[in-house]
Amino acid sequence: MEITKKMVEKTATKLSAEEILGGNVLSVKWEPNLKYAWDNGPAIGRYLAELKKGKIIAKKCDKCHRILIPPRMFCELCWVPTGEWVYVKDTGIVNTWIVGYVDWKAMRLDIKGGVRPITPGIIEIDGATKGMGILHHIGEVDPWKIHRGMKVKAVWKPPEERTGSITDIKYFKPIK
Amino acid sequence: MALIERYQKTTDIGYWEGQIPMSYIYTVGRAGEKFFRELMNGKIFGAKCDACNIIYVPAKIFCERCFARLEDKYLDVGTKGTVHTFTACYETYQGTRKEKPSIVATVQIDGTQGYLIHWLGEVDFEKVHIGMPVEAVFKAKKDREGNILDIKYFKPVK
Repeated sequence: MEITKKMVEKTATKLSAEEILGGNVLSVKWEPNLKYAWDNGPAIGRYLAELKKGKIIAKKCDKCHRILIPPRMFCELCWVPTGEWVYVKDTGIVNTWIVGYVDWKAMRLDIKGGVRPITPGIIEIDGATKGMGILHHIGEVDPWKIHRGMKVKAVWKPPEERTGSITDIKYFKPIK
Repeated sequence: MALIERYQKTTDIGYWEGQIPMSYIYTVGRAGEKFFRELMNGKIFGAKCDACNIIYVPAKIFCERCFARLEDKYLDVGTKGTVHTFTACYETYQGTRKEKPSIVATVQIDGTQGYLIHWLGEVDFEKVHIGMPVEAVFKAKKDREGNILDIKYFKPVK
């Protein structure tokens, strides 16, 4: 530790962010253009296309007879290709959820300023096998009133605003 | 059955686009500070190790052979050099075709064991040869920013 400290004092130059950004020292700035495109594949591709139509589609495994949501081409338990496509409902129940105080960039939400905490949860979709669910926001409810097994229904964007994305569902809201 | 499902039209293939935001600032360091500040004055600076009798270009703060400190051994090495290796470059940085190929060369600065990689200018590719004497052409003084492009290119010495 003492040696490290001596070495730093002898060789290193301490710089503050202001000195670097203010141009007091010479520097090179670079922003690599890191674009990517991720192939949806046949299963998620169809799933997103159906979301644009306002429908939720799942896929059935012919061996274990589970109805898988989100759909996949392969049953992860039976190790076989999945079979037919099945439409499921846009209602479900809350399996798990959290009350979050930070956004996806890990910035603290202004809760005292009236911002509602984010409440993502796993929604078990009606019509799919129990335990099968999708991750989405839960809305139109006091974050602290959410409970396990709460019945919810998808709130869709208007058709003209849908883009074939999971955000075509705005959130799930409680129903009686 | 399902695994042989095929797309009938390429337009049916969906994808998600994303961009990873990443940027950095690299400070040039103490020797770099000397080298690039002097570049703004139109000079190329190296550092000499007396024990090894080697002049490094660009300047550096220590000798990589004997680890001697060279911070008080900076010296002006002039702007002339010789072509050590060279190649023609047919594509831009973005990967598109250039109208006219540019020439990139490793230039050994005369009297030193140091090299700079830079463009060659005012010369045809056919005329370039290893050992060709060249000299640095600098940007106008007001346009210099303290990076290697303050040298526009190296041109043949007449």
